[in-house]
Amino acid sequence: MFWLYLDPGSGSFLLQLLIAGLAAISLAIGTQWARIKRFFNRKKARPTDDEDDE
Amino acid sequence: MNSSRIGASFRDPGGFLFSRDGTLYRQVNQAYAANYTRLMESGLYAKLVETGRLVPHAEVDVRHEEAATAFLVLRPERVPFISYPYEWSFGQWKDAALATLSVQKRALKFGMSLKDASAYNIQFFHGKAALIDTLSFETYQEGEPWVAYRQFCQHFLAPLALMAYRDVRLSQLLRVHIDGVPLDLASALLPWRTRWNAGLYIHIHLHARAQKRYAGVAVTEARTGRRMSREAQLGVIENLQATVRKLEWKPAGTEWAAYYAETNYTDAAFEHKTQVVGAWLGKIAPRLVWDLGANNGIFSRLAAAAGAFVVSADVDPAAVEQNYQKSKSAKEQTLLPVLLDLTNPGPSLGWHNRERDSFLGRGPADAVLALALVHHLAISNNVPLQQVAEFFAGCGEWLVVEFVPKADSQVQKLLRSREDIFPDYTREGFEAAFRQVYEIEQAAQVQESERWLYLMRKK
Repeated sequence: MFWLYLDPGSGSFLLQLLIAGLAAISLAIGTQWARIKRFFNRKKARPTDDEDDE
Repeated sequence: MNSSRIGASFRDPGGFLFSRDGTLYRQVNQAYAANYTRLMESGLYAKLVETGRLVPHAEVDVRHEEAATAFLVLRPERVPFISYPYEWSFGQWKDAALATLSVQKRALKFGMSLKDASAYNIQFFHGKAALIDTLSFETYQEGEPWVAYRQFCQHFLAPLALMAYRDVRLSQLLRVHIDGVPLDLASALLPWRTRWNAGLYIHIHLHARAQKRYAGVAVTEARTGRRMSREAQLGVIENLQATVRKLEWKPAGTEWAAYYAETNYTDAAFEHKTQVVGAWLGKIAPRLVWDLGANNGIFSRLAAAAGAFVVSADVDPAAVEQNYQKSKSAKEQTLLPVLLDLTNPGPSLGWHNRERDSFLGRGPADAVLALALVHHLAISNNVPLQQVAEFFAGCGEWLVVEFVPKADSQVQKLLRSREDIFPDYTREGFEAAFRQVYEIEQAAQVQESERWLYLMRKK
């Protein structure tokens, strides 16, 4: 496979697949948590985080 | 016409860098045409350039370097000084890691993905960590994991964790392991308690075990149809972000951290030194300055104020960290703190010894600042004064140098623990040695001190 020319190693590749379910759940929880925090902090200005450009 | 391929640029079938008559170009190959078009047309390029995370380029109409494979040629904006991860402070490395993850998150939103996560692809551009490799993006394939995950862990997470949890000097492992710290090595070197950190446990310890467990296993069979959704990949990226953000290193207790609070000269002497150095820099108006032994960069900032881009180098990780945090919070764009041991500057490394340039190979500068430095080289490292002069002359045409005599308490400290085998270490001896290589253009004694400043020009 061409896109594998930078071989990530089977283990690195498979580890991601193994933690995929966990990762998706943690993202969902994180997103909900951020929404809750935003709800309670909506009067405060959001701090700017120059390390992440989101 | 003088044209050649850049030594580090051979691995990617998508294209390569070349230099022609002093200008840097990037040839994009036909093999990368579809990805390049997607990068430009999806809006990803514009967004990354706007946020300062990708070095911009122009498409130019010049002769292809290798016509058989060429799609087009780009002229990237030039990064004033290329630095390597083993020359970064902890904070610089951490920001480079976060920049890489931020770019990957952004890329996923635009239907692309980074195919590599090399720390060498990040440079400090206008003071901000930015990706320099325009050809790192490929079309995202739904269901696939992040192909650069291993490289990210080796180039960023492992060294940062080792610096934070074991010793900041382990950054130098990258000098030996050019493709990042092998994860089994990182796992062995990290304290056992890092297994309680969920991110480090998964991305380093478990990752190392998985690599061993599945070594030589064909991925297509072992994955048994498993897929990784885009959300799952985003989850991994965000987890890596959180893991990196939590890593901290505070420059406490190192030798130089309190240097400026402990100098042995008066306010008037400092004021006068600042004034003289500032005036000389204004007069020679250098474009690129190397401040060697810069500490936390006080005099580097004089050079930056005089209009130069300044490489602000010091041997002490704490000083470099302080310098970087200062430049980051002030949003300075023309100052780059780097970690540099002058007694053993970075060599040329990698394939054919041409992948990473030596420190001196990235010169010359227009001017070198060497303030309160010569006694360290001459006395602590036993370098004869004329060789010190020859070394500086190899770094740049102009030199602003300070001579600190033996009577000075700082030099006395150095002599306390060693035999005084330096009979020529006098102002006269210093001038005679440097005159072999330089013309002395100006000299001034620093008020209320025994120290002398010189402005010299290479013969």
